[in-house]
Amino acid sequence: MKRLGPVFSQVNSRQRQFEALTRAHAGDLYRFAYWLCGQDALAQDLVQETLLRAWKNLDALREAEAARPWLLTILRREHARLHERRRLDTTELDEGLAEDAAWASPERHGDAAQLREAMHKLPHKYREPLLLQVLGGMSCEEIAAELGQQPGAVMTQLFRARQKLKAIVHGERPEVQRGLP
Amino acid sequence: MANARRCSVDCLEFRRRLGAEPQGPDPAMRAHREACPTCAAAWEKAQHFEHALHGALDVALPEGLAERVLLAQATGVRRQHARRRHVALGLAASLLIVLGGGGIAWRQAQARALPTLAVAHMPEEIGSLQLTRPLAAAPVAAAFAARHAALRGPLPADTTYVHVCDVGPFHTVHLVNRPDGQPVVVLYVPARQTATRRTFQRDGWFGREVPLRHGTLVMLANHKDRGSFDAVEQAWRVAIDGLGERRISEL
Repeated sequence: MKRLGPVFSQVNSRQRQFEALTRAHAGDLYRFAYWLCGQDALAQDLVQETLLRAWKNLDALREAEAARPWLLTILRREHARLHERRRLDTTELDEGLAEDAAWASPERHGDAAQLREAMHKLPHKYREPLLLQVLGGMSCEEIAAELGQQPGAVMTQLFRARQKLKAIVHGERPEVQRGLP
Repeated sequence: MANARRCSVDCLEFRRRLGAEPQGPDPAMRAHREACPTCAAAWEKAQHFEHALHGALDVALPEGLAERVLLAQATGVRRQHARRRHVALGLAASLLIVLGGGGIAWRQAQARALPTLAVAHMPEEIGSLQLTRPLAAAPVAAAFAARHAALRGPLPADTTYVHVCDVGPFHTVHLVNRPDGQPVVVLYVPARQTATRRTFQRDGWFGREVPLRHGTLVMLANHKDRGSFDAVEQAWRVAIDGLGERRISEL
């Protein structure tokens, strides 16, 4: 008698792979989406769209290690599509660099609410590479490849992103860091 | 600072890289940090900030997020399967309709075909097969004239029956010949062209349909004797198409 096993096991294997992928990455994807778009419901939609698109193209995923950057790429594209339809408001800040000294004292470190508010205000061009680095675990070179930029430009954006966050949290116009102590 | 200056990364480069990648694993950065207390302090501050940043970004996850995604995926897969099933069923139904319709059309076409109608006509005049006395040329010629046709050659000598019959929509001259004593029914349909010559078998009758120059000849017999059909066909081809025309058509 002809065995039907391999067909079912192939289908089940794909389904199992997707379930594992979803359970492993839904949280990271949600956090990334949330900080990218700034809205809970929209972030959940983005996660769902991302994973459903991943399901359709699951055969393109060859290595488990590549899953996270692959999913983040899909999510960014989904967000870009959404962004084209719904221009999300972002608050642009003055260019400038913040003083690092305020973060020397440990009592400021737990001020997560202020930092979150600052993240919401951070312009998209700084926020996205910062999220890819902090949440996506990517290096400057990987972020540059993802965003289609030069590594040097990404380094500058990351540097400025942190400086701007500090400036927003301080609620003051940042001073330019002219020299080193 | 003096030691730091001997490292591959100077203080300015260290601060620049620290601002971009505070948790970067570069050994040169580590070496500079170990050699420069000021930059080491800056690194400490940066680590505190990174710790705070990670904590701030770590927002609570919506409850049941993964399950909702999996449900949406499963529902989508089910819909896709259902859609595929519907398409397959639709195609199968369409195929059945086409085949059924084609079958009906074919049956109707067959029912209206001359061989079918000729066989169906036979019970009406089955008694004609019993006649054995050869006919004179005049009544046969009259029957052909009634169908606006004419004999162009000699009448087959063994013609024992003639009648003007309507076979379905076809206006025919109904004849019987007896080559070798066996009756062969002949139906000539003037002005009806048949594309090809063919034989058939239906309801116990053997038949042959033959295209002539100006009409169609159908022969029927309740015995399978090809020699009889050949002889009768040849005789009526000469009688209807004529000798001269037959030769020309044979060239």
